[in-house]
Amino acid sequence: MSLKSMVTGLTAAVAISLSFGVNAADTSSWSKDTVSGETDQAMHLEPDLENGRDIFEVCSACHMPEGWGMTDGTFPQLAGQHRPVLIKQLADIRALNRDNPTMYPFALPESIGDEQALADVTAYIEKLPMNPENGKGEWAEGTPEFEQGKKLYADNCVRCHGDHGEGNKEKFYPRIEGQHYAYMLRQFEWIRDGKRRNANPDMVDQIKNFTDKDMKMVINYVSRVLVDKKDLAPSANWTNPDFD
Amino acid sequence: MSKIRRLAVVMSAVAALMTGATAAAADGAALFKAKTCWSCHGKDAKTPLMPFYPSLAGQNAEYMFNQMKDIKSGARSNGNTAAMKGVMGLVNEEEMRVIADWLATLQ
Repeated sequence: MSLKSMVTGLTAAVAISLSFGVNAADTSSWSKDTVSGETDQAMHLEPDLENGRDIFEVCSACHMPEGWGMTDGTFPQLAGQHRPVLIKQLADIRALNRDNPTMYPFALPESIGDEQALADVTAYIEKLPMNPENGKGEWAEGTPEFEQGKKLYADNCVRCHGDHGEGNKEKFYPRIEGQHYAYMLRQFEWIRDGKRRNANPDMVDQIKNFTDKDMKMVINYVSRVLVDKKDLAPSANWTNPDFD
Repeated sequence: MSKIRRLAVVMSAVAALMTGATAAAADGAALFKAKTCWSCHGKDAKTPLMPFYPSLAGQNAEYMFNQMKDIKSGARSNGNTAAMKGVMGLVNEEEMRVIADWLATLQ
């Protein structure tokens, strides 16, 4: 093994161990991080979809060839997510600005490539059709918990995430409609409790008084928002023809 | 019980055992992929993503089973376990056993 790869390996090993222990909330530099060099660079590169597909093969081992993740929420659905959101999260994870020890080594330039790779793979992912049967919370429409979640959404979330959870591409606000319930619940909790360090401070502030029940109700509602059919795969049995 | 019938019983028991063993191997390989173990440990279980992630092919089954169990429960939380803990919700102990037994048979 060369000295360089040993150094890279050691640095990564330390980062993976450290990233587990870090949980201090430091969201003061949201706007600076939002336009961090790599994010900004990747945003302005012309994406190569063919190369994006090839890079996505690495991602597909966990996020699945369809980019649907897992309905139990272990891995999020990526398909249909806004490109700037995907770029920012990838850049944040590999800059250790968002702790994700599982994904961290995959996000490294050695694994997926430079800013051009970020531009390419995210362009590919954004165009994938979404899972029509995402993981949902337990409360069906009409239950008091569903209705309360709907109200919480209208009062707290709609301004940034939009009427139906479509997010905002220009502002790096993620699309949350169609996302798996358990994944969103975990991220929401980590954002509320300061564990997700790259969270938007406005959101941290907005949800700071949410109880665990509030959190479940609002995420249940979001997980049940109907996604526009044109963005969905024809069925949950659809397989990505780019991968055999 | 007649000799022939006894023989038939023994034969079908042997057949069942053999099918069972094959099924377990197939299950082990399928689980290794479906539970995303191969993403980090390599498709052949000996080409890990990072040089400091363990090679699993031919490793002791009991040892691997215990590591999976302890990483899932949090009893073991040092080193690179943070990278693995997040996916362990996908695997129950029965599946851990099948995966460990299968990995141990690999060269």
